[in-house]
Amino acid sequence: MISSDIIRGHVDTIILKLLTERDMYGYELAGEIKTRTANKFDIREATLYSVVQRLESRELITSYTGEKTHGGQRRYYKITPLGKAYYRETISEWKTLRDIMTAILGDDIL
Amino acid sequence: MNRIKKFVSRLLKDYFSEQDKRELIDILTISLQEKIDDLVELGTPVDAAIARSIKEFGSTADVLKAFPDKTSEIRQDLSRRRRSAFLFSVFGYVVIVGLTLFVNLWFKEFFGGFLWFVVIAIAALFWPAAMFYVYRNVKK
Repeated sequence: MISSDIIRGHVDTIILKLLTERDMYGYELAGEIKTRTANKFDIREATLYSVVQRLESRELITSYTGEKTHGGQRRYYKITPLGKAYYRETISEWKTLRDIMTAILGDDIL
Repeated sequence: MNRIKKFVSRLLKDYFSEQDKRELIDILTISLQEKIDDLVELGTPVDAAIARSIKEFGSTADVLKAFPDKTSEIRQDLSRRRRSAFLFSVFGYVVIVGLTLFVNLWFKEFFGGFLWFVVIAIAALFWPAAMFYVYRNVKK
């Protein structure tokens, strides 16, 4: 299991990526991260929801109240055009970082 | 909802400006409540859902991790406020002890020479001592 300290700088990107696929509410985001990483990424909900608040205050995402398929209302988050642009930028940085690490570490990471 | 909001408010008690805190409390409370609703919809009893959500939520330190560029500023601000509280408690202590000393000595004969201000001085020590402990914890 990887702790949130190591991957902290990438939580923004993870949330933005999930929201490019569909609008989600807070706990749904947490569940999706757990499922996709097979519980290998241990992010506390306190951190996750606080990052969501930070992204919303930076207008990278926006929120609206919607109905859950079966159940009450939920506060859904939606990525904004600014958020999409920021996401593309971070992906580009990530690719550069990956190329650098691959060039240095070579076969050790295969 | 009240229990959740109280829990979240307590977590953020000493951190962030009032407006930031209000927004953060709102979003954290709503998200926690949604988790509780999801768990209840899946058949978990309400009290168990609340207890589990609070237990799994995380701490103040986990909230601060979301603001790496602000963390040191937040800690410095808290440290400053704790230091002021400690200095105030020292000042208050000196005033209380000074006053009791004055009354005790001024009416010495009335009290039969008993220096009771010493008892007050020792008892009141808890105040600066507690403030110092809190301040030291923040510095750590």
